[in-house]
Amino acid sequence: MNGPIRRLATALFLCFTVLLGAVTWIQAVRADTYRSDPRNARVAIAQAGKERGMIVSADGAVLAESVPDEDDPRRFTREYPLGPVFAHTVGYTSPIVGDGGLEAAYVDALRSRRDLTLSDIVAAILGRDLRPRSMRLTLDSRLQQIAYDALGDRAGAVVALDPRTGAVLASVSKPSFEPTLLGGADAAANWDQLLQDPGRPLLDRATRELFPPGSTFKTVVAAAALEAGVAGPDTLFDDPSEFQLPGSTATISNFGGGLCGNGSQVDLMRAFVRSCNTVFADLAIQVGAPDIGFMAEALGFNRDLDFPLPVAESVFPTAELENDDAALGQSGLGERNVRATPLQMAMVAAAVANDGVLMQPYLVDEMFDPDGNTVSRTEPEVLSEAMSPETAETLTEMMERVVTEGTGTAATVPGVRVAGKTGTAEAGQGRSYPWFIGFAPVDDPQIAVAVMFEPLPAEGTSETGGRVAAPVAAELIRGWLETRD
Amino acid sequence: MTRNTEGVLVAVASALAAFGVALVEFAGGESIGAQVGLTFLVFVIAFGGIHVSLRAWAPDATPLLLPPVALLAAIGFLEVYRLSPYRAGLQRWWLLLAAAVTCAVLAFLSRAGLSLLRRYRNTMLLVAVGLLLLPNLPSSGPLPIRGLTQGGSRLWVVFDLGFTELHFQPAEIAKVLFVAFLAAYLADRQAALTGAHRKLGPIRIPEPRQLVPLIAVWAGSLLILVYQRDLGASLLLFLTFAALLYAATGAAGYLVAGGLLAAGGGLAAWRLFDHVQRRVQAWLDPFADYADTGYQVAQGLFALGTGSLSGSGPGLGRPDLIPNAETDFIFAAVGEELGLAGSIAVLCCFALFLAAGFGIALRSRDRFRTLLAAGLTFVIGLQTFLIIGGVLRVLPLTGITLPFMSYGGSALIGNFLLLGLLARASQEERS
Repeated sequence: MNGPIRRLATALFLCFTVLLGAVTWIQAVRADTYRSDPRNARVAIAQAGKERGMIVSADGAVLAESVPDEDDPRRFTREYPLGPVFAHTVGYTSPIVGDGGLEAAYVDALRSRRDLTLSDIVAAILGRDLRPRSMRLTLDSRLQQIAYDALGDRAGAVVALDPRTGAVLASVSKPSFEPTLLGGADAAANWDQLLQDPGRPLLDRATRELFPPGSTFKTVVAAAALEAGVAGPDTLFDDPSEFQLPGSTATISNFGGGLCGNGSQVDLMRAFVRSCNTVFADLAIQVGAPDIGFMAEALGFNRDLDFPLPVAESVFPTAELENDDAALGQSGLGERNVRATPLQMAMVAAAVANDGVLMQPYLVDEMFDPDGNTVSRTEPEVLSEAMSPETAETLTEMMERVVTEGTGTAATVPGVRVAGKTGTAEAGQGRSYPWFIGFAPVDDPQIAVAVMFEPLPAEGTSETGGRVAAPVAAELIRGWLETRD
Repeated sequence: MTRNTEGVLVAVASALAAFGVALVEFAGGESIGAQVGLTFLVFVIAFGGIHVSLRAWAPDATPLLLPPVALLAAIGFLEVYRLSPYRAGLQRWWLLLAAAVTCAVLAFLSRAGLSLLRRYRNTMLLVAVGLLLLPNLPSSGPLPIRGLTQGGSRLWVVFDLGFTELHFQPAEIAKVLFVAFLAAYLADRQAALTGAHRKLGPIRIPEPRQLVPLIAVWAGSLLILVYQRDLGASLLLFLTFAALLYAATGAAGYLVAGGLLAAGGGLAAWRLFDHVQRRVQAWLDPFADYADTGYQVAQGLFALGTGSLSGSGPGLGRPDLIPNAETDFIFAAVGEELGLAGSIAVLCCFALFLAAGFGIALRSRDRFRTLLAAGLTFVIGLQTFLIIGGVLRVLPLTGITLPFMSYGGSALIGNFLLLGLLARASQEERS
């Protein structure tokens, strides 16, 4: 009789082994699938209505705070006093569509941990502070507002950095949206409406979208040329009205046609100041894809940037240009397959401003507890030493002359030495992306900016960066230096 | 392991139940109050009482049975409390009553011995059948006792006590009596059952006459399935019966025949009944008809997945989103709030209990005790496998309770009665 009982027992234990396997499969292997299933309301419910820490700007403006409900002091409503101005950076929190921006990136620090896991309880017993943390951003609410207003009704983006530290002073993308719309009862409908909006208001153009950088990329090519010793500001180039791309029937002409200098020869300084395409196509081919690619990568291209918000990787396709001089010539003008985020181009300007040293950009200055004590603080870090101080100095000189006598005179700020570079990237159908990157003051750089507008929808509405984007940069620089006084 | 260790472990389980209640209170933002002390007190009285009864009336019984039961009851109670403090309050009373049943069984059988059951085997069968038929009483009428259909299954009986109504699931107690009857019957008839068989080619098949009881129980199970729509109880009784026949005779033919009959019955039920078809559909793909038939299984999977490795913590998950979380789906609630760690702990506790139970069966020198211990242990193991397998999508869902853990008075009483009988069987084989 014991034999059959043993076999029955064995069979049952085998069944239990199957259960062990199944429960491990569900709770360990497939856990995330079930947890994040849109029909599973648990995670959203758990977060909804909980208190979160405050988010304040560098100048102390409240950007996000949890306000207790009138009827139930244990539940909170998240409020964003400056709404759309900070929507892409600060983000939103929603029981229905989830979190976005820094609200998502720092959810663990911002939430109250008085109520979640066993480890929290252990931490509480050990006397750790489990109240929600608050955070102070590097963003300045006044500069952010200036940028938001200066972009007007057009789609575009502005990024401003402190070149000495990498602190992001402003990051604006337009069109924007009201983050509280995603927190309330109509969140699902509002979300759908924002998703279907052809202006794509949810998209953060400052960090998440790639654009052709156009002639602002000549800064990178010039830096590579100076660094490699291929050319200096006085190096002379041929000055044809059209540059014949090698191995191709295509030609490169200057913006609006015409010559760069007097028609025989022109130096690099003048070519940069007037943004001559013929010379830079020639120069890019002379420098070569590896050296340009090396400089671009030192400045942040082709790299996964460590940043709290999702950042698209800016692209300089070194490998595919190595044996294709025609494509390299076009790429030297920031066209073809070269792509960059506005944040990336602000980093290029910042590196030049900071004697060639590129600082790691950061958004969160410090975390503090509800008593106002600092819990952690971000220390500026060097991301790369992209170019020698001499190269940076020469580039600064060239960029300053862009503003004083070249394509970027609209960026002039009275009483301030401004350096910059314009860009007008082709968007097809006679349209363009106007760009401007720059920094100021030249002798003591405090702000580096990138301004980019999306093309207007109608055909043949091309505008230059010098006319449209440079004035925005001037406003930012003037506004920032005024707040500093 | 000694009886003293058993006492310590039972005390630890009681403290765990109280600590769990405290965590749930803490998570809900309540101040930690009387519920914690009350829970501790009830667990200490219930399990301490069984522990003392074991010392008094079954001192040689294995100390391995009670601790896993106490821990399972503690984990189950904590989740029931988290889901419904009101029901947890009732559950505390049921726990006291069920423990009293265990103590009474131990005290009563200490003099008469298990052989008493053997003598009254036919009475037990009659009572079991009567209990199984109870839910088929009319739903309304002059009687103070009536049947009740809940969740599509007619397996409830309502006692109208005048001042309040008491809901009762008689199958939970019938299953214990049924196993006891079977053990007695098979112990008596063993010679006849093992002796006669025919050969059909190389296969030994039992004498057709000996298959009569098998077919009778199969038909009875089908009747339960048809009239009460209770897939779980039906399957549980039939498979336990087949397993015990196999244990008593060693003839694998019974298992094969039993398996074929179960499969045939299942197939017929699947073709005939909507509710069986829906359950199979929800098993194959719970997300296909998420809003309706698949909802419960899908919510169970969401709960388990969200709980992940370490769980949300007691009181911090949302097991209340799962329909019937405190009865059929208590395992998913435990998995959500205590994580994979908790799920595995529960499975291990059941495995320990089964190991102890089968140990008693294998060591017993008496046929009746062997079959009784094996049958009681098997029925717990099978019930656990059926319901947890249903929650984990290993099997189609059969609506039965998880022993010692689910909310429900009749289930607790039935399973604690079973615990008392097992302990007594252990006492008798050792002394």
